[in-house]
Amino acid sequence: MVKDMSNNEVYALIIIFSVAIGTYGLRLSGLLLSGKISDEGRIRIFLDYLPPTLLLSFVTPAILKEGLAGIIAMILIAICMYKTKNIFMSMIIGVVTVAISRNFF
Amino acid sequence: MRIYSSMTDKLSNDFFRGARANAPIGISVFAYGAVLGMICAQKGVEIYQLTLMNVFIFAGTSQFIIVDMWSNITEVLTIIIAALLINLRYFLIGASLNSLFKNSSLKDKFLFMHLVADENWAVTIERSKHETITPLFLFGGGICLFSIWSIGTYIGYIFAGFINDPSKYALDFAFIAIFTALCFNLYQNKTNLIPWTSAATVAYISESLFGGNLYIVFGAIAGSLVGVFLDGKRYV
Repeated sequence: MVKDMSNNEVYALIIIFSVAIGTYGLRLSGLLLSGKISDEGRIRIFLDYLPPTLLLSFVTPAILKEGLAGIIAMILIAICMYKTKNIFMSMIIGVVTVAISRNFF
Repeated sequence: MRIYSSMTDKLSNDFFRGARANAPIGISVFAYGAVLGMICAQKGVEIYQLTLMNVFIFAGTSQFIIVDMWSNITEVLTIIIAALLINLRYFLIGASLNSLFKNSSLKDKFLFMHLVADENWAVTIERSKHETITPLFLFGGGICLFSIWSIGTYIGYIFAGFINDPSKYALDFAFIAIFTALCFNLYQNKTNLIPWTSAATVAYISESLFGGNLYIVFGAIAGSLVGVFLDGKRYV
């Protein structure tokens, strides 16, 4: 079976299991090491900033590639999240905005 | 004996209470999973690969990142780093569960931590503030979300074939919209603005210059370092 696998399938398995082990390691080590990290001011700030900056780095080029529609979608998502905190509804609003722009403009 | 049975009642009760408490949030988890399933079908991800990710990774956002980078699958290290960076928050989520697990055995900690996702963590933390609950509440929520998430991904995968031009419906924009929403949800105050802008700028410039996927890592590290530089002063 291993012989029949393409290189890409092997790469995919390496990725999936590395991320799986790493993610489980993060979940468990966070629990096991908790209490020790709270004193580490700078590390804590760095870790706190990673999720939003990572998400922002991920979406910014994609949003700007959509042009004006992308920026409008982003503003509407911001308003929706501010008012409702509903991620699902924000997703719908973003998708509908970009879909309208792609089909009618 | 009676004490033992009432304890097991309480324990299994917590499992089902956790599962029930997470059911409402399951609607958006289902939809989110369906979008991932559709993108998987478009990107040529096999069902067994999707299943392995659902079972062993069980972290939606990082699964989106992996699948989004699927066409550059040879960039193994970049994809692993990007996915693990987005999952770094689980370290802090784990740390925040310290008091819930304080009477638990090591075995329970090893067993229950795998199915911790943003949603059941948030529901558990909220509930633990006004009720006494055991880690089984968290685990019950995890099993509930895992089931809904998996079914969602398979349904999305199956129905993706019926939508012949997904980009027309902007389905490729769905996870960008979700990430944007999740990101705004993490906004705290004005001190975030400069680090966030730095991240976005560095990401945009490095994507324009180099293409590939590393712009995500560059933007995040740059933005977070700016955050440490600005915020860190207050702690020294």
